[in-house]
Amino acid sequence: MMPSSRRGLTSAVRGVCKALDGTASRRPPSLEQQLRSLRLSSPALAPVPGSRRCLSTESSDPAGSRQQPPPQLAITAAAPVNLASLASRPRLAEHARVLPASASYFSRTPVFNEHFLEVYKLSRTYANLPVIPSADAERVAWKTLFDLRQTLGEPVKATEYAQCLKLVKRLHLIHPDLKPPAVTDALRYFKRDVQGFLNAPKPIAIDKFGRALGVGRRKASVAHAWVVEGDGQVLINGKTLADYFGRVHDRESAVWALHATDRIDKYNVWARVTGGGTTGQAEALKLAVAKALMAHEPALKPALRRAGCITRDPRRVERKKHGRVKARKMPTWVKR
Amino acid sequence: MIVRNSMIRHGRRAVAAPASQSCLRSLSSSTPRPAAPWQTGPATAVAEPPAELASAPTQTSAHSQSFALAQAAARKAGLAAIPSNHAEYERQRSLTRPLGSRVTSRYHPDQDLVNPPHDVTLEMLMAAQSHMGHHVGQWNPANQRYIYGERAGIHIISLETTAAHLRRAARVVEEVAYHGGLILFVGTRKGQMPAVVRAAELAGGCHLYQKWVPGGITNRDVILANGRLKVVDERDRELPGFEAHLRDCRPVVPDLVVCLNPVENYPLLHECGLAGIPTIGVIDTDADPTWVTYQIPANDDSLRCITLIAGMLGRAGERGQARRLADANDGICTWETPREIATFIRREAKERAREKEAALQEAAEQGLLDDKPLTREQFLSDEELLSEMTDPPIAPNPSSPEA
Repeated sequence: MMPSSRRGLTSAVRGVCKALDGTASRRPPSLEQQLRSLRLSSPALAPVPGSRRCLSTESSDPAGSRQQPPPQLAITAAAPVNLASLASRPRLAEHARVLPASASYFSRTPVFNEHFLEVYKLSRTYANLPVIPSADAERVAWKTLFDLRQTLGEPVKATEYAQCLKLVKRLHLIHPDLKPPAVTDALRYFKRDVQGFLNAPKPIAIDKFGRALGVGRRKASVAHAWVVEGDGQVLINGKTLADYFGRVHDRESAVWALHATDRIDKYNVWARVTGGGTTGQAEALKLAVAKALMAHEPALKPALRRAGCITRDPRRVERKKHGRVKARKMPTWVKR
Repeated sequence: MIVRNSMIRHGRRAVAAPASQSCLRSLSSSTPRPAAPWQTGPATAVAEPPAELASAPTQTSAHSQSFALAQAAARKAGLAAIPSNHAEYERQRSLTRPLGSRVTSRYHPDQDLVNPPHDVTLEMLMAAQSHMGHHVGQWNPANQRYIYGERAGIHIISLETTAAHLRRAARVVEEVAYHGGLILFVGTRKGQMPAVVRAAELAGGCHLYQKWVPGGITNRDVILANGRLKVVDERDRELPGFEAHLRDCRPVVPDLVVCLNPVENYPLLHECGLAGIPTIGVIDTDADPTWVTYQIPANDDSLRCITLIAGMLGRAGERGQARRLADANDGICTWETPREIATFIRREAKERAREKEAALQEAAEQGLLDDKPLTREQFLSDEELLSEMTDPPIAPNPSSPEA
């Protein structure tokens, strides 16, 4: 039986050698002869009578090795080296001492001080690099004092934080093409993990039917308005404007974006409004329609801005406070 | 009727500059704008916004928009030109720097920070205003031996004494650094931060430019519990394997404290005295010289004087560290391993030896120990093994299915 590959062949040979080592007494003679002819050096195979294999030092003087010393000069060789006892005591180091990992070890805020000193050195080193106006620099949300205290777990003082942030902001204004990588690396630590300024509103697309979907919110209402070129029809939750809003003021609010830009007869609106009351729904619609209209005609943005149609009104119901009847109303004063 | 088509709609948004609004208006509708409802009379459900709301922007926005665009473009070009301008400025500066006369003997106080001297002269001390003490009424009579005289209502410190004491303190710093001690530079007054940090950087020690936390030495197990430590060898290389020790060991204390304003650091010096830590202090005429071990009579209110003194002490520490590292390279360790670490190393070695013995014993019991010498084949790679075999090739077995 022949091994199918080279790997198989070598493993077979190794296996044969191992087997010969293990069972030296009962090895098959034919295999021994065959492997001897291969001139392998396994101790089971090597010693061939008549042809001694010697080390070079021994072979230099073959005659002397045969001499027998007198019995009184017989050498008693030393005991073998106990390798286990030599290796038994591996020491970690000969000399060792404990040192602070940071030069700011004795201060209350060692990690913050390290970062501060790094920024300080960089600001001294690169004080002469040209800066750009802050309006042209990339807007960055820096870590607040609270963030810094949270991340470091150190009682950073507000004055030290302000001092540090002043240097950080100055370094940030270095012209982007001339800013050294060390500065970028050092400032990365002071950036917040979430950079809100990178968020960009998604542009509203006009679909294949010519519709633009705008979403507006006000109080607890949410309005989705599909605006399409047309002749001025308005359907809100399946009803006409006059059917849906009983108040004239609400009807005005709902389509104020179209009125303010004189587009009331050029677009149709199909809207879905949920939540809140009539005022909230009408003003949510105003925002939704204005956004969708801007998708059709971006140049109307200044007019819509002046008409107050594209500003989200953030006001919500103010919470009630304890000790008060409503949010602010005080209980009636009672004499005794 | 609306004549806009999608091409115009989207094309306008694609180009950077929008078309003028009057143009859009003419495109948007073919019908003239109806008169305002309050002018015509019939009441409608919705009110018409004021006419100027919609019409006003159309008059001016075209001009203002183009103006704003031009402004933005100019701004952008200005920003883009900054790097080349800066390169040109640097080039001109390097060209003109060698021109002109060379002023040799100028006083550069900032050099005391950047490149501190190894030794001071009386002129340097005088230039740094080290001799100016406090108002004579505020003096501490213990400082009498450091005071040269009185002038204009203030005490004048003897600069010979200052220089002598400063050299003595520098020698102390150098030897402590040479013997592997931890030196702490303290200067907590406003503006002393650069000098303190620079001195600590040179001397390879620690710095403190903020308030000393009371108990940092006497209550260090609590105050410095979270401080990070490392274990180094004689060449200051960090050693692995000491994590268990670093977890359990006590926080370290300085071996020498250099205080640049002892008057404000009573708690620190008190703790150093309790813990037996030697201190070096800059003693003005109003300070108590017994608070510190090694006094340097000088003006502690002058930042220049403080920078000079801290710089010289930092240089001394630098020399000591350099000597220590040079000796370490020659095989001489100038410090003793602290007892706690020595114990840890011994215990760790014993533990490892025990583990090894146990492993050996277990292997012997299981019969895994193999005292037979390795054969040559075990060191041969596959290629070498095969090449040895090919010399007398093995005859293929004719009974093999592949053959």
